[in-house]
Amino acid sequence: MNAVVIEVNRRSLRKDVPARMHLGDFVREEGRQTGTHLGCEHGVCGACTVLVEGRPVRSCITFTSACDRQSVTTVEGYDGDPVMALLRPAFSRHHALQCGFCTPGMLATSRDIVLRLPDADEARVRLELAGNLCRCTGYMGIVNAILDVLEQCRGEGVPAVSALRAALPRPDGGPAPQRKPFRTFTATDSGTLAAAAEAPREEAAAPVSGTRGGTNIQGSFTVPYPPGTVWAFMTDLPAVAGCLPGAELSEHAEDRVKGRIAIKFGPMSASFAGAARLERDDARRSAVLKGAGQDSISKSRANGDVSYRMVALDDGGTRVEVDLLYSLQGPLAQFSRSGLVKDFVARMIQDFGRNVALRLDPERAADAPLPSAHINAFGLAMSVIWSRIKRLFGRDG
Amino acid sequence: MKAALFDYTRPADLQQGLQLLAEGAGDTKPMGGSQSLGPMLNLRLARPRAVVDVSRLPGMREVTVEAGALRIGGSVTHAEIEDGVFPELRGTLLQTVAAGIAYRAVRNRGTVAGSLAHADPAADWVLAMTALAARLEIVSASGKRLLPMERFMLGAYTTALEAGELIAAVHIPRLGADARWGYTKFCRKPGEFAEASCCAVFDADSGFARIVIGALDGAPRALPGLAAAFAASGALPSRDEVQAAIAAAAPGKDAVDRKLIAATLRRCLEEVLGHEKESA
Repeated sequence: MNAVVIEVNRRSLRKDVPARMHLGDFVREEGRQTGTHLGCEHGVCGACTVLVEGRPVRSCITFTSACDRQSVTTVEGYDGDPVMALLRPAFSRHHALQCGFCTPGMLATSRDIVLRLPDADEARVRLELAGNLCRCTGYMGIVNAILDVLEQCRGEGVPAVSALRAALPRPDGGPAPQRKPFRTFTATDSGTLAAAAEAPREEAAAPVSGTRGGTNIQGSFTVPYPPGTVWAFMTDLPAVAGCLPGAELSEHAEDRVKGRIAIKFGPMSASFAGAARLERDDARRSAVLKGAGQDSISKSRANGDVSYRMVALDDGGTRVEVDLLYSLQGPLAQFSRSGLVKDFVARMIQDFGRNVALRLDPERAADAPLPSAHINAFGLAMSVIWSRIKRLFGRDG
Repeated sequence: MKAALFDYTRPADLQQGLQLLAEGAGDTKPMGGSQSLGPMLNLRLARPRAVVDVSRLPGMREVTVEAGALRIGGSVTHAEIEDGVFPELRGTLLQTVAAGIAYRAVRNRGTVAGSLAHADPAADWVLAMTALAARLEIVSASGKRLLPMERFMLGAYTTALEAGELIAAVHIPRLGADARWGYTKFCRKPGEFAEASCCAVFDADSGFARIVIGALDGAPRALPGLAAAFAASGALPSRDEVQAAIAAAAPGKDAVDRKLIAATLRRCLEEVLGHEKESA
């Protein structure tokens, strides 16, 4: 818990709040100001927009502790505000609200437009409203209400609004400096192909394609051992799991396994628990591993078919061609545009291939530890245990 | 959804902050304005044991000039750059970029370092800082290093930051008086993440020429051949030249994506030449 002192609508609140409490919950539950509406709770819809220190922010992705010693204004706190005194009747006149769910956020954003952009035209107003979603009105009435108020405040039309505008931090820099015409020159530094600081990948540059069953990603890796040896290894599920960063098996019976795989994708981590089944074709040395799992904490679900086949190379080595068909549902899918997953999977295939080559190396001990991956698996277990210990001692948050 | 439990600390100074990050053993995350981390926390995709709030740290909230380079503190917000709060940044490419990030309510809190550390391939600062050849001042309890932007981002959401490290500031070489630049992006909806983006910087005084495309699968990519040719001629490249350069830099993109990138790149170079902007 963190002690905070926050002024909500000119009333000072001194509270102990859990670190994870966002400002929207704070004003509603601790401040009892329930006019602020929570829509998406991940910063997309704008419904929860409030003013912090007079500036609009999204209260759902602003943590209460970060607002300690600051002032917050919600839709209940605009008594005496000259801009809101004009916006409220204009919203009514122009039918700028139907169900009213987005209205508190719309008003906060509208007030900001009126103060910050006195000369905004319709296109600019619409641009500024892009972060506030309304599912009823089609925005027409909202845009007209704002244009109406801007017109009323033109010049010195409303002195109280002009005074608020004058108080804004406005640079006195004047217009941007006039840029000179383009002058040709001989470039001495035109950049390098910004290559990531890692070895070039041998992945086939196959575009990601969406199919009925999900998204398809192809890649490959090579190992300096003959196809027969690699095939024997690649159909030994515990051995394969041992080379997959973050994977652990809990059960194994012939061609079926259960287990979990922890992945870390930048700031995101997930731990999918699930099961997989191997369908193998020994004559062709190709196989499909069909798996499905769920991340219990974010409630994301994944299904995937990993097809792989051995291709003999002239130098006696083997290229393993991998074809992944996957689908994702839930929160993780929101951040996983297919191209990003492709980038992630390509790096995972390279790490996996490197581990397979190390495991097949007769010079190495069979249980020698593998180097850590680019994508370090994340010790979720540790953080879970830690939070349980803390709860035991009553320090939960 | 609500975030999972985590501990929150707002250190009084940078030293204390770095100490907390060092003790956090990789399970503690710095937090700026929480505009990238917040959604991840609420969706429980990010589950750090603790966050260290660096948004108000003295030394990370200023813009100064050091050895001919601008030093922008990591916790400077997009809105502050947009509003011209720092005289050094007025009328620059940075002000243009800042004004186009997400929505005003996000810009009021989001910070430069937070956006870079999050490393979304479609993020504006990731692209602009690559095109400006910025260097990141990365600090930890055990010291400080300067890392060029092109070595910072390893892939989608993946950077060269080690556990316990923090981006304290961004250093940007100052451009000459005749420098020209362009910045364009294609978004299905204003404020959404870009589907294609391009940033170009040409500085005749220093011989610096950059055309960089962003919103790819991983880090932004420079198009050096195209940049050198454009600097020498001042003429828009042909359609085939653009397509060839894009195909080389972003081989994984399909025809539709390549078309989007090409259009974005052409508009960016038109901006460099001072042509009237087409309405997107």
